[in-house]
Amino acid sequence: MSMDAVLFWFLSIVVIGAGLSVVLMSNPIYSALSLVMTMVGVAALFATLNAYFLAGVQLIVYTGAVMVLFVMVLMLFDLKRELQAFSRGKITGFFKIAGVGVLAGLLVGVITFTTQKTSLIAEGSPLAADIAAQAASGADNTKILSENLFLKNILGFELLGVLLLVIAIGVVALSRSKGGTHARD
Amino acid sequence: MLETSMFSEIGLNHYLVLSALLFTIGMAGILLRRNLIVVLMSIELMLNAVNISFVAFSKYNMNSEGQVMVFFVMTIAAAEAAVGLAIIVSIFKRFKEVNIRFFEHLKG
Amino acid sequence: MDHQILIAVLLLSPLLGFLINGFRFRSQSYVIAGTVATLAVTVSFVCSILLFIELLALPAESRRITAHFFEWINLGDLNINAAFVVDQISSIMLLIITGVGALIHLFSIGYMHHDKGVTKYFSYLNFFVFNMLILVLGDSLVTMFVGWEGVGLCSYLLIGFWFSDSAKAAAGMKAFITNRVGDAAFLLGMFILFMTFGTLNFYELNALAPTTMEASWLGAVTLATLMLFIGATGKSAQIPLYVWLPDAMAGPTPVSALIHAATMVTAGVYMIIRLNPMFVAAPNTMMVIAIVGAATAVMAATIGVVQNDIKKVLAYSTVSQLGYMFLAVGVGAFGAGMMHLMTHAFFKALMFLGSGSVIHAMHEEQDIRKMGGLRKYLPVTHFTFILGWLAIIGFPFFSGFFSKDEILWQSFSSPRGHTLLWVAGALGAVLTAFYMTRLMALTFWGKSRVDKNIHPHESPWTMTVPLIILGILSVISGFIGVPHAIAEFMGHIPNYWQQWLAPVIRPLPIEELQSVTHTLSEEYMLMGISVFLAMCSAIFAYVVYTKKKHIAENTAQSLKPIYNLLDNKYYVDEIYFGAIINPLVKQSRNLWYYIDVNVIDRMTHVASDVATNGGKLVKTLQNGNMQQYAMYVSLGLIIVLSYVLMR
Repeated sequence: MSMDAVLFWFLSIVVIGAGLSVVLMSNPIYSALSLVMTMVGVAALFATLNAYFLAGVQLIVYTGAVMVLFVMVLMLFDLKRELQAFSRGKITGFFKIAGVGVLAGLLVGVITFTTQKTSLIAEGSPLAADIAAQAASGADNTKILSENLFLKNILGFELLGVLLLVIAIGVVALSRSKGGTHARD
Repeated sequence: MLETSMFSEIGLNHYLVLSALLFTIGMAGILLRRNLIVVLMSIELMLNAVNISFVAFSKYNMNSEGQVMVFFVMTIAAAEAAVGLAIIVSIFKRFKEVNIRFFEHLKG
Repeated sequence: MDHQILIAVLLLSPLLGFLINGFRFRSQSYVIAGTVATLAVTVSFVCSILLFIELLALPAESRRITAHFFEWINLGDLNINAAFVVDQISSIMLLIITGVGALIHLFSIGYMHHDKGVTKYFSYLNFFVFNMLILVLGDSLVTMFVGWEGVGLCSYLLIGFWFSDSAKAAAGMKAFITNRVGDAAFLLGMFILFMTFGTLNFYELNALAPTTMEASWLGAVTLATLMLFIGATGKSAQIPLYVWLPDAMAGPTPVSALIHAATMVTAGVYMIIRLNPMFVAAPNTMMVIAIVGAATAVMAATIGVVQNDIKKVLAYSTVSQLGYMFLAVGVGAFGAGMMHLMTHAFFKALMFLGSGSVIHAMHEEQDIRKMGGLRKYLPVTHFTFILGWLAIIGFPFFSGFFSKDEILWQSFSSPRGHTLLWVAGALGAVLTAFYMTRLMALTFWGKSRVDKNIHPHESPWTMTVPLIILGILSVISGFIGVPHAIAEFMGHIPNYWQQWLAPVIRPLPIEELQSVTHTLSEEYMLMGISVFLAMCSAIFAYVVYTKKKHIAENTAQSLKPIYNLLDNKYYVDEIYFGAIINPLVKQSRNLWYYIDVNVIDRMTHVASDVATNGGKLVKTLQNGNMQQYAMYVSLGLIIVLSYVLMR
């Protein structure tokens, strides 16, 4: 078993476990902390896939910014362990759990059955060699990404900037509002 | 037909299956949890699951498009989290609780 | 002036008056409303005179002014134009409608000044004139039918003008529904004519009218003309559809004068004269028309004898006189029918307006038993009424004498006439003389039976001026159509009327005319008999109702069954209700209950229940629970993925 495989199995166990605890913990604070764990795990998975830049961004944006926001809101609300963490309704509950289970099975089935026969890049092809060469130096990968981002997708990139501006303004407007159309007081 | 190589040789499928599992966990959270903040967290979980598959495809496809997409998704996820939390804050201000059932007021 | 503009002004002026008064119908200023309406009709009258002068200038054979405004309906073979035509027939009608109409509008100013809905009243009246003009000017049956329906509507609106009284509203509905029966037949007649001849234009139809007489009862022309005649019986109040006209007296009295005496009710006669070549070609129809006309003339006159409401007497008199007109056209004397139409319009409008003046003076009292001796209170009304009375009873050299005598003579001498028709006509004339004299005697002469609290007074000038003008017309209008026999006697006065109408009247076939010969002496004799009998009857009525009232009472006592029969108008209304209306209502009720409620309604209810319950079922899916929505999404995802996998 190679080092890669060990790393993958370890990380996937961490990610799945932490993800499950996000959903299952009845105290939202624990959920948030589990989510942080998941994010870190995912960042590490990115690293195993040679996406070093994205791994960094994942750490900075999610664990650094988004999760801090979540935790801050949680602290603001001062939420305790909830008595009714899960939605009611036996029949719908059954449907939901069954649906999730079937969906998971189907997804795995689809993945294994459809991509088994069509290997994306043949082993030993020149391209495969390139991949191996690229894998050796992470810097090149980041370079390719940045070239793609700033040459090919520059318009989308700038539009994202505009979107962020709008979001910033919108969030301020939302948090200042007094309750919208349903306001009674 | 279980082979030992399944455990030792990590391929695209491994990542995709992991991504699918994480996605369904997130979906279960959305379907089952009542706390809005946790629902929002589950959405983040699903987005991350998708990101994993994007990056995996990017690597095994020899193509940087997937990574660019992840970059975009992250930005939008951050924005979505900000807006979602702002809505949650206003709901909390209104009802002193962050239960998803308050969204039932949105029906016609 | 251009003819087209002249006709447009003629038509649109009353419409404009209708719109002006219609948009300010809440106003209670009778001066403004009356002035606008009267002016509108007067403008039309002036246009009519101008058009008449234009016609006079044309050569006799081509006296026709057409105004084609636009193409109205163009469907395959059917081509209807909004085109209006002034010729010999319609110009006379124009003069009557706008002339008498203007006088009646003027009269209404005085008569309606105390009414709250006076503006509405005048707008309806103008609208009526507009529709009546369309009726007489239209160059095809369809255009005529537009006016035909329009006057029916206005008649309904004006009969039920005081609709807060349910009896009056019911009278309006009765008129409308009875007319509807006739209109259905009118439409059928139009369809048959279109099927047979492929056109509905009067001139084209008249040119296409068959030259050989149609002997069969089921021939196309006979059927079509019979249907048109049934339409005419509805509009012109003939047996069997006359029942609405007496009830129509519920409307204001000037309306009775304008619509139910002078103009609208003559529309049926006008229509037959318009299509006279077609009717001539159907001898069977002509026979039916003559018999129905004569029967109506006698029957309505007998009912008129026992009526006590001043307007009811005049109403039955109108029905009776319309019967004479149909008798005339039925024996082929279209000119005489048209002549009587005109003279009747003058003297009957006069008498209705006179009765309006009386009713006005008596504070809405209409029962002639409570009048009497009004001569000294209402001198002008009395004098003009006498002129109308003399005209209607056919006193020599008054207008009614010429027209009625011509009809009686024609009904005897025409190849399509019959001695019995003459007898019926003469009997009608005798009865007319009797009940009109009775009306005069009970209303104006003898001792006053007026209630102590009522102080009758003469009407204002707006009401007396029309009376005087119509009175003069009632006296002199007969001289434009002096019959041949009398003309000989009076020094060869030419019969302008016959000459005027000759180009548009189709004479009876020459072989028929040659089959009968009559001498002048016969005509003098018959004229003498009818006039003598009528005068005797009038004198008898005068004596009975002014001097010896007990005779009338004794006769009524001794002939109780007949008196009751007449007093109840031959029970025609009751028969109609028993035989037609009540069974119809009952069957309709059954249909409503068993078919409509139990079948059709139930079906729609089932359909709506299915929709409602389906909606309820689906509604539970959309309960606002977002997690359930998310569940639907995931279930959909499952279905799609299953499909992908199964493929």
